This record gives sequence, C-alpha cells and structure tokens, in this order.
Amino acid sequence: MMITGVLMRALQMSTPLLLGSLAEIFVEYTGVMNMAIEGIFLMGAWGGFVGAYLTKSLFWGLVLAMVAGVVIGAVYAFITVKLKQHQIVTGVALNILSGGISVYLYRVLFGVPIIPLTVESLRRIPIPVLCKIPVIGQALFNQNILTYLALILMPVGYWVLFRTRLGLIVRSTGANPEAVDAAGINVERTQTLAVLASSAINGLAGAFYSIGFLGMFSDDIIGGRGWIAFAICFLGNWNPMGALVGGLVFGLAESLAVLLQTSGIRLVPNELLIAMPYVLTIIATIARKQFNVPAFLGVPYVKERS
Amino acid sequence: MNKRSDQSIWLALTPLYSVILGLAASGLMMLLLKHNPIEAFAQLFGYAFRDIYNVADIFAKATPLILTGLAFGFAFRASLFNIGAQGQFYMGSIGAVVVALKLGFLPPVLLLPLCLIASVVMGAAWGAIVGMCKSRFNANEFLISMMSNYVAVAIMNFLVRVPLKEAKGEYPQTDVISEAAWIQSLIPGTRFHWGFILALAAALLAYVILWRTSLGFKIRAVGMNRSAARYAGIDEKKIFVIVFAISAGFAGLAGFMEVNGIQHMVVQGFNPTLGPEGIGIAILGNAHPLGIVLSGLLFGALKVGGNLLTQTTTIPSSIIGIMEGFVMLFVVLSYFVQNKVILAQRKRRLAKGEDVA
Repeated sequence: MMITGVLMRALQMSTPLLLGSLAEIFVEYTGVMNMAIEGIFLMGAWGGFVGAYLTKSLFWGLVLAMVAGVVIGAVYAFITVKLKQHQIVTGVALNILSGGISVYLYRVLFGVPIIPLTVESLRRIPIPVLCKIPVIGQALFNQNILTYLALILMPVGYWVLFRTRLGLIVRSTGANPEAVDAAGINVERTQTLAVLASSAINGLAGAFYSIGFLGMFSDDIIGGRGWIAFAICFLGNWNPMGALVGGLVFGLAESLAVLLQTSGIRLVPNELLIAMPYVLTIIATIARKQFNVPAFLGVPYVKERS
Repeated sequence: MNKRSDQSIWLALTPLYSVILGLAASGLMMLLLKHNPIEAFAQLFGYAFRDIYNVADIFAKATPLILTGLAFGFAFRASLFNIGAQGQFYMGSIGAVVVALKLGFLPPVLLLPLCLIASVVMGAAWGAIVGMCKSRFNANEFLISMMSNYVAVAIMNFLVRVPLKEAKGEYPQTDVISEAAWIQSLIPGTRFHWGFILALAAALLAYVILWRTSLGFKIRAVGMNRSAARYAGIDEKKIFVIVFAISAGFAGLAGFMEVNGIQHMVVQGFNPTLGPEGIGIAILGNAHPLGIVLSGLLFGALKVGGNLLTQTTTIPSSIIGIMEGFVMLFVVLSYFVQNKVILAQRKRRLAKGEDVA
C-alpha cells in the first residue's frame, strides 16, 4: 500500500519534469537553449490557475497556460534567434520578469484574497482493468491526463527525433546549420518554431504544479523545478528515453522526501530532504561524462551574405 | 581608446535609455491597476529623495546589491556564469553571524575584521566548489551554481532553525549580535553605514584585478577566447576556480554588510532577491565595476522609492520585479541597437574613405 503511494506520487512529481526536459531536448537540438524555462514554468502555473479559475474549466486553464508560455517564448525567440543576443542573459531577464508579472497579474485579477483561492485539480482517470493490477496498477493507470500525456510523449518524442524527417531537420539545425540552410530550410524559422513549441509544452508542465494536484497558485510554486527539467535534458544525454529515466528518478526522490517528511520519522532534518533533488542534480551533472552536445548549441546562426 | 572615440556621446547613454524604456513598460502595467504611472514614478522618486534618511537608505540598499552585482559581473568577464550569488550571500551571512555570536566579547577592532573575513571566506569557499566542479569535471557551471542556491537556502534554514536558533526559541532567527559587531553609521541616525565605502573598495579591487594585474589579463583572455587562452599557456582550469572564489567572495561580503550593518541577526530567508538583482545590475552596468556601482545605486533608489510607493498605494511590491525585468530586457535589446549603430557609423566612414581601425 505504501509502495503504491510512493510510486503514484513519484509519477506525479516526474510529470512536469518529463514534459519540460522533452521540450528542452527538442529546442536544444536546433541549437537554442531555452533559458527562460523557469519563468515559462511559472507563467504556465499562473495561466493554468487563472484560466481554470475564471472559466471554471480546467481545459481553458491548460490552454491559457500554453498561451502564457508561448508569449514568453516568443519574446525569447525574437531576442535570441532574430536579434542573436545572448541566450543566458536574455533568459535571466525573462525569468525575473515572469516572476514579477505572474504575481502582479494575479494581484490585478484577484486582489488580496483572505483565504487562498483554489480550483479543483485535474481529475484522475483510472484506466479500466489495468488499474486493478496489484501494486503498480494504481500508480501507473490511475493518473491525470497530463501524466499520461508525458509518459506517451517521451517514446513518441524519441521516435519523432530519430526516425522522422522532422526529427532529422531538428537535429541537423543544431549540428550543422549551414548545411540545413544550403538544403533550403530556413534555420531561423526552425529555431523559432522550436522555441515556441517548447514554450507551449513548458507552459503545460508549469500548469501541472498549479492545477495538476495543488489547485492553487503561489509565487514560489515552481521553486527551481524548471531548472531541474533543464538539467534532466543534459543528464539524459539529449535522448528522450534517457530523460524519461532521469525524470522518474527525480520524481521518486521528491516522492520519498514527501513520505519522510510526513511520516513523522525524524532520521534526517527536513531541510536535507528538501535539498535532495538539487544535490542530486549537482551530483548527476558532475558524474555525467559523455556528452552528446549539439555542436552549435547556444551559438546564434548568422547567415553569410553573398 | 580607439573604440571609444568613434562612439558618440549619445551612444554612451544607451543604458539610460534602457532604464527609461524599462520604467515606461512597467508604467503600462500600473495602468492595469488604474494608477497613473507618471504620478506613481513622481511619487517613487519623490519618496526616494524625500529626506536625508531615505537618501541614506539608497546607499544602504545599494551596498549589498553592488556586491552581488560584482559577483556576477566579475565571473562574466571570464565568460563564466555565477548564478549562485544568493547562496554565496547566505553562506557569507552565516560566517559573519557565527563569528559575531561566538566571539561577541571581543572589541570591535578585532571583531569586525574577523566577521568580514569569515563572510568572505565562507562565500568564496562555497563558490570555489562550483569552480572546482567546472574545472575537475567540466560540469556546467550555470546549472551547478543555480542548484547551489537551493542547497545553501536549505543549509541556512536548518542552521537557523536548530543550532543557531534564538535563545527565546520562538522564531527561526538567530540572537541579535553584540553591538561591538555592528558596522558604524556614516551619518548618525540613518542606515548609511561604512559598508558602502567597503563596497566601493571592493568594486575598485575588482577593477584593479581585472585590468591592472596579470591574473586579470588571464581572466579576460579566458573570457574572450578560451581556446586561444589555452594555446597561450593559460591554465584555464585554475582560472575557473580562482574566478569563482573571487566572485563568490564578493557575494559573501554582502552577507557581512547585511548581518553586521543592517539586520544585526540572521532571519530565515532574508533578502531573497539579492542574487537575481545582482545579475540585473551587472548586466545593466555592462559587467564593469563602475557601471555596477552606478546601477547598484539606481536599483537602490528603485527599492527605497518602490517600497514606500507600495506601502502607501495599492500598487503591489511585485512591480519592483517587473521594473527590474523590463530594464534588463531593454538593456539586452540596446546591445543589439548599439551594435547596429556602430556598424552603420563605420560603414559611413568607410564610404568616405576614412580609416577604420
């Protein structure tokens, strides 16, 4: 019973990390790092909550989350892809701005509520028969729609990336932009679309924190999880299946931390458990040796003029 | 020298335009709450310069900001990203508060320098770990320093909750440090303390290291072209560790300023935005120590005026983050415009047959 609970929560906590890391893998293959990921997660959480609260429909919450993500992504793409400015610096600026804007607009819309506003979170959808499997049935087959989506998207993403023409274009853009350009494919457009698409997915990932299980929004709701998704992209060696493993490990770590915090057993201080995912990221980043870094990652592509 | 001379005076003022545009964009956000932005900004700057106490407060607020700005800017000169100033600041605070609490019986002449050294050493050590990860394992320093913030917060929360908790045992904060460890005010009755002079000295030190020593030359060489620096025989791995230690030392020093100069204790999660704001300040100041000092003062004024504005009107305090974010964004955009203008100027001169260096 306890194992089922831990597994269930592990899958839950890994959902946004999976979505975020998959989005980051795609965009990084085109040679652009989406450094605004933390801010987009936050805007997604904001959009998800606001959309769901105002329309009373979680569907529109998810839509607004994607829109909010794409808005930040569009600014990021314009500055980094079109104007070729520094990706890390632009990302830092947008993350600070997102932090301000999300909290500010929440205040504009709702004032200062005395009790925190809540919405009903995404409902679990038990899959008939399969959810009756002992131990893992409830964990794997009684989750909400975003978790299913994340679990399906990882293998689909792998297939698209390594088995389709689209995937080839995406991978070539970051590996050899000149060749892609010579083949008549617009490099800037590919990169821009990749940033926009990744921002939409990141918006969904962020929405998972607000309407996926908590049903509320606060300014510290993301707390660096965007960066963890960013790290998982590295740790999974730019391979969606690697990121799947990474995301699940982090989900499990968070789930165990929650279990230990609520169990009343005080083996270690709470703070250590809270710090665990971040320490894990550091250790994993150090331990990872072989990297499959896209050759032109972070280097703006400037078309030579004739 | 040459590069400067073909830029007009107007071009040198680009950071100023960015600030104005950034504030204008935030003004549009105020309209959403039906506030007249012009009035609001008049109020903001009116508050900031209302009396000697508030003006002094600008310097007090700017002091740690200049230091976290240096923490990012110094590493940026080596093309390294130190996003960990927040954690390094907390580590420095812990160093300063532990010394002040445990050695509180010492006279100020001894106690203050010891607190200062403890804060710098703690910050530098915490940052050097990031540098070592970079040089030993070729790990991504951006990610590691980012994650080190969260770990530092957890460490501080634990220390303040358990071993360093106040004697009363009520709140997660330390006892007040003995008055011998307080940094004296420059203007009595205000919070403008000697730390500001120290921050200026730190900025000068950063300038001297970067542009007047061979170490600084190596640091900038690594920053401009890593492989060229390597072929020139510069040990880039050593530079990574040194740069991170120095950068983080600045952020650690900010801990001394806040603990001994302002708070006189450590409270769980105090000053949570110093690190990110330092990044904004460094970018606005073009990662140059003088620019960082001026940007730090501007951000200080925005903070003092902004805090009073949000206390006296219904504009929420998140507007300060919006202002900072927009200003940074416009600074990034201004780099683009600046390059375009310089390029156009050079083309014009080339067409006239002048020599372009």
